[in-house]
Amino acid sequence: MNLDEYRIDQEPYYRAIGNEITLFEAAFADRMPMMLKGPTGSGKTRFIEYMAWKLGKPLLTVSCHEDMTASDLVGRFLLDAEGTVWNDGPLTLATRYGGICYLDEIVEARQDTTVVIHSLTDDRRILPLEKKNEVIKAHRDLQIVISYNPGYQSVLKDLKESTKQRFGAIDFGYPPTDIEGEIVAHESGVDKKAAAQLVNIALRSRNLKGHGLDEGASTRMLIHAGQLIVRGIPLGEACQVALVLPITDDPDMRDALTSAIAACA
Amino acid sequence: MISPDGERSEDRLLTPAARRAFPEDMAARWLRACRKLEQYGYGDAVVTAYTRASPAIAEILGPEISIDLVERISTVTIKAKRKAGELLPWAALKAAERLRNERLFRSWLGVIERFAALAPESVVSVLEKMDRLLAELNVSRFEAWVLAGVRSAGGDAERRLRFFTFADPQAKRWLQRESGEVSFTDLERRLKAYLIALWRLRVPIREPSPSASEHARRRVSFDRGLILMPPAFPGYRGLQAEEVFRASLAHVAAHFMYSREKFALRSLKPLQVAIISLIEDARVEHLAMREFPGLRRLWLPFHIAQSSGASTAPILLARLSRALIDPGFEDASGWVCKGRDRFFERQDEWESPHISREIGGLLGNDLGQMRVQFNPRTYVVEPPYRDDNMGLWDFDDPDSSDHEEAELLFESVRFAQREDDDTSSPDREREKQGEDDEVNRAALSSEAYQDEGIPVARYPEYDYVTGRERADWTTIVEFQPKPGPAGLIERILDDRPDIVNRITSLISSALVGRTERLKRQTEGEYLDIDACIDAVVSRRIGVTPDPHVYATMRRRHRDLSVLVLLDISESSKDKVLGATATVLDLERQATVLLAHAMAGLGDPFAIAAFCSNRRDEVRYYRIKDFDEPYDALARSLLAGLEGGLSTRIGAVIRHAGVDLAGQSSHRRLLLIVTDGEPSDVDVTDTKYLVEDARKAVLTLAAEGIDTFCVGLESGGDSYLSRIFGRRNFVQIDRLERLPERLPMLFLRLTS
Repeated sequence: MNLDEYRIDQEPYYRAIGNEITLFEAAFADRMPMMLKGPTGSGKTRFIEYMAWKLGKPLLTVSCHEDMTASDLVGRFLLDAEGTVWNDGPLTLATRYGGICYLDEIVEARQDTTVVIHSLTDDRRILPLEKKNEVIKAHRDLQIVISYNPGYQSVLKDLKESTKQRFGAIDFGYPPTDIEGEIVAHESGVDKKAAAQLVNIALRSRNLKGHGLDEGASTRMLIHAGQLIVRGIPLGEACQVALVLPITDDPDMRDALTSAIAACA
Repeated sequence: MISPDGERSEDRLLTPAARRAFPEDMAARWLRACRKLEQYGYGDAVVTAYTRASPAIAEILGPEISIDLVERISTVTIKAKRKAGELLPWAALKAAERLRNERLFRSWLGVIERFAALAPESVVSVLEKMDRLLAELNVSRFEAWVLAGVRSAGGDAERRLRFFTFADPQAKRWLQRESGEVSFTDLERRLKAYLIALWRLRVPIREPSPSASEHARRRVSFDRGLILMPPAFPGYRGLQAEEVFRASLAHVAAHFMYSREKFALRSLKPLQVAIISLIEDARVEHLAMREFPGLRRLWLPFHIAQSSGASTAPILLARLSRALIDPGFEDASGWVCKGRDRFFERQDEWESPHISREIGGLLGNDLGQMRVQFNPRTYVVEPPYRDDNMGLWDFDDPDSSDHEEAELLFESVRFAQREDDDTSSPDREREKQGEDDEVNRAALSSEAYQDEGIPVARYPEYDYVTGRERADWTTIVEFQPKPGPAGLIERILDDRPDIVNRITSLISSALVGRTERLKRQTEGEYLDIDACIDAVVSRRIGVTPDPHVYATMRRRHRDLSVLVLLDISESSKDKVLGATATVLDLERQATVLLAHAMAGLGDPFAIAAFCSNRRDEVRYYRIKDFDEPYDALARSLLAGLEGGLSTRIGAVIRHAGVDLAGQSSHRRLLLIVTDGEPSDVDVTDTKYLVEDARKAVLTLAAEGIDTFCVGLESGGDSYLSRIFGRRNFVQIDRLERLPERLPMLFLRLTS
């Protein structure tokens, strides 16, 4: 079996901010487990897609959630007419056939679930399947990548030290304003000036992080606003739809944001 | 005046105006009414007032109601004395002019009649102000305002009079509220967020003190680190009011961002000061608009000066203000044009405040030579969103240099004032009631404050040498904590919005009582499919299946009480390394944030502080008990804590244990914050108190009370682990992080 359906054929757009591509390539050369840190919408997932394409490896993405169990990662027996059949989970697939296994928002998963990756993320590189009484030696192309948003929930939801320390990390902040403008312009198709305005607006909302907003507007949100502008929606309304209304339900914060947007343009 | 026999006096009464107002048979009825009023015997002044005012009222509302007025004058005069009867006809005329509607006028009369019954002593002062009152209020609002005054006095005539003569600032506040003006407090949160969004600017915003002059309360004012915002801008309603507040704050923020050094006042004349300030206003606004072009749309609508008109200084200044911000404005005055040209010529130098001084000085001289009148006493900056410019000038006032201290002073004065206010006007039927009650409690407690403690309990102490407890060895003396400025506590919360927000979001996630899926149970509402498959697999491969094949949903809930015990011994007065705060300050900050979290979670909690002075005086300060609300009193007591004496911790742990044992919650937690090894002046053996404390903790544990300690002294591991056990304490090595660590720790301990 191969994982061709998990390969990315077309080059995804990714605008490098620093030397993260070189860093990741170097880490991949040694199959070092990597952690991508950063707020939502800052380009973590796009980056890993780009890297998977660049390195020519399949990419298996798992979006982690609270109710996820180790079986969801490793695989489980299912019942069929003949009796029980084993079904490989995404982690097992990547381990057997080689590829990048990307665990998105890993902190959402319970800590006892995340420990199953421990044996794959140190020099053993094995995955024991107790239920099948099998030990899989990892394919040479297996790399474990996790993403992680060190935000508000980090006190109650945090990675165990023993998990954290197995990974190298790349930090994804919001890009510098000119690069962010470039990204917004490329992805949404707005002109440079409107893109710069959108980035300026985003900075206002990021100032409010911790002062009423849990998180400022992400690059992704700006792209949405830009797309609306390209469709002929005026800037103010586009920002309402793509930014203000989704980001908060607090009328005071909405008002503050709306006024700040009015001041920017 | 009207004599029973006098035809002639009736002729005199029937002036042309009266004949017009009371045609034909109405005139006779009106004359009869006049005569009746005279017969009541309230004196000539009342009758004269009626005979003069009633024709005008009749002109507006018709003769009937004007004649009926006599009876109303009578009732009001009986209750509220002659002076009121004398004023009522004139007030009624004002009301008629304002209301111009018979139905409204009758209900207005009804209000006055009821008011005369409720507050006879105040009728005169209200009637005198009727024109002004009705200019701002309609009849039902007027009634609401009158009732607010009556109720807030709680039956005390003197207080009522203070209210209705506007000696009590509450009167003005209620008037503003009833007149539907938007007050700053309604908008404070969103406007603060606006400043943070634009400039990351966080400055405390306060209302100017009620004692400040009317003049000083009309415009926003600022100084380093503080903005004074008028509670309302009269005349601006609804959205407009919101805009004027927003424009004011944006303007002041522009000063904060771009006006750096204060200008030295030296020997400048008031007119020059006004003009230099004006140029500075324009300069900072232009710099702000470079960054945020949309601000022009915010500010411009307030500039309404016309391009021509009288050449008085205030008008010329307003025109110059407009010329400097409005590109489409052409002014006829050479002076204004010169000001504009000078200002824009030096666009490239706008970054430097010196140009304001230069251009302003120049224009000031010109205006001086034009011999234009300028009265600094009546001058109010226009347009209304601009500040009074006090913050721009260095008045060489030594007091203003240490603003921190000045503000503290201001805070404590304010607290004292609130106590005073309480005795004068708690409005029990309005929404402020809760707050007033709190202050009430605070006021009471400060009266009851005493410097002597009351011995409340004796506890044994454990002697590790004998291995026994020595009965009744320590005496707990409870002291009444001193109240401090509650504003201090508010400021702590204000200063750490990041932590407060983080705590709030953690609280809400802990509060929601998220349902939790319990898998692999022996019984439950549905089958756990994973477990079932495992069981089937086990059977197929011939092993005994696990019977835990059910799952269920359960709502998590909290059932926990916490007592926080603060060490305020002498060592807590020490300054923290590399900071200006003392250990106690940090303990206080941490406790404030913790209390914020606990109050938010609704966990019952108590706060106490302790220190000791030998075994017979172990001091215990109750800041807040389990059954008390976390209110202004508790906060002011927390603010008033002072350090001193020693740390005899064992006795205090036992005493706190008794309190906690009375709580019926599932989990009971004693959280101790201490900064040093147990010690007291009458104990030389350091091990003795450590062992006693350990014994106390073990006793509590046997009763099912958990004890957790936060140690603030680096290198305290040895005794802390001895007392509390290895897992039941944390050491905070960087003390300045205590305020954020403590609430987080609590949430983690209890989640």
